[in-house]
Amino acid sequence: MLFSVLIYSSEDVIDALSEGEIEEILSHHYAFQDRTKSEKSFGAAVKLMSTGTAVTLHRPQEELLVTDGPFAETKEQLMGFYLLEADTLDEAIEAVKLLPLDKNKVEIRPVSYFDGANFRDADRLVLDAS
Amino acid sequence: MAALSRYFRDLDMAEDAYQEACVRALAKWPDQGLPDSPLSWLITVGRNYGLDIKRKNARLVQAYDPVPLYETQLPDEKSEAIEEILDNAVFRDDFVRLLFTCCHPILSAEHQIALALKIVVGLSVDEIARAFLIKSKTMEQRITRAKKKITAAKIPFDPPSPEDRSTRLRAVLLAIYLLFNEGYAASGGDHHLRIPLCEEAIRLARLLVRLFPEEPEVRGLLALCLLHHARHETRLGESGEIILLKDQDRSSWNRPLIQEGRVLLEAALRHKKAGPLQIQAAIAATHTSALSSSETDWPELERLYRALVALQPSPVVRLNWAVAVYHVQGITAALDILEPLSEPLAQYAYFHGTLGVLLAEQGNVQGARKAYEKALALTLSEAEKSHIRQRLIAL
Repeated sequence: MLFSVLIYSSEDVIDALSEGEIEEILSHHYAFQDRTKSEKSFGAAVKLMSTGTAVTLHRPQEELLVTDGPFAETKEQLMGFYLLEADTLDEAIEAVKLLPLDKNKVEIRPVSYFDGANFRDADRLVLDAS
Repeated sequence: MAALSRYFRDLDMAEDAYQEACVRALAKWPDQGLPDSPLSWLITVGRNYGLDIKRKNARLVQAYDPVPLYETQLPDEKSEAIEEILDNAVFRDDFVRLLFTCCHPILSAEHQIALALKIVVGLSVDEIARAFLIKSKTMEQRITRAKKKITAAKIPFDPPSPEDRSTRLRAVLLAIYLLFNEGYAASGGDHHLRIPLCEEAIRLARLLVRLFPEEPEVRGLLALCLLHHARHETRLGESGEIILLKDQDRSSWNRPLIQEGRVLLEAALRHKKAGPLQIQAAIAATHTSALSSSETDWPELERLYRALVALQPSPVVRLNWAVAVYHVQGITAALDILEPLSEPLAQYAYFHGTLGVLLAEQGNVQGARKAYEKALALTLSEAEKSHIRQRLIAL
């Protein structure tokens, strides 16, 4: 089964982190990525730019509304997500435990439909705008 | 600082308390290690120190006068209060409240920005004075007067209304812009770049973008900071010498920051309310999108600078426009723009530096030498001085 691993955090907190703290957080991510890649359960890693770069589209009636910023003004924002293959939810939880969980929350949500490149066999494409 | 000033409702008291907390932290932390939450440690220590002072003052005053100076009923010190202060949403609001209090319309624009740089950003009086091109003593007096005015007017430390926010936003943006500039080209001292100041400006700009997503100039400011900051690792050589834009290693520019800056700028420009910060961000974006300096789109830069001159016809902006004109139309056209600037920019090192470059290009060695020497006399930063000396030798 394919799972999405959604990472939520407060941008106010993230922006105020020191370089050392950021490195600490990244080291957990690398551990998670290394393990899932070696177990061939890694699907994709997506890190999002700040919500300040976002626009939100909505067409309640005829007219298209384009507003600046994220869809919801909440305390925590979606920072990025992984796609992860696992046989059971337990197995997914086991892997996700490697991620840093003190300064953010991680939501594991099964994917019901996926249409994209075959990440099991294909060459990896890495776009670094993180 | 924001949490303490909300607590005490007194800028001076909050500043003293904050400084004391920092002094104690410097004495303790190196030996005993960081406390679990450094921020709540600072707030608690600062608050306790402030309360002590209040109590002492209250006693002193009571000895002469039955009416206490401060309300003797002090806020309770329950830990929930601290928890609440540390709640992110509240902390963010504290910061904004403080920023907008400093930028209150009873103060002149210059006072607003000076106060915001001192109180919110924590720049020293010397640094602020240099940013404003005035003497430290004058700036000191200016800040003292501004604080007195805020206190005398009993301005509430309550959140400004949405209307107030947008009218004060301009001053807030300018304060953050000056902070970034101070880090980007330090006005004095041994370090030409002061990265932490740039990073703090970027953090504040990001915060404002989240608070004011619909204000294109706010995004313009963040885009501008990111696009400049993306080049910071290539701006100084191994021995600290300045490397000009045209000679920088473009492959080492920080592409993710550039991409983020460009997206922000594009989102801002959709509003079709181009302001000075958006135009400056567009200028920075034009530079960063050239793969080599020879591919720089100077006609586009000249148009952008001309638009900036139309909005902000200051001598410094005209000086930058002249450089773009030089690349598009040549030396004579550029010198024509510089000529009337010699008086207003007589004390501005970059004016003489630019003039020197143009005159040297023209083969006017005598004139170039004179201009470089003037620039040298007006420059404070060591890196800039040695850069100008190099140019003098090259003559």
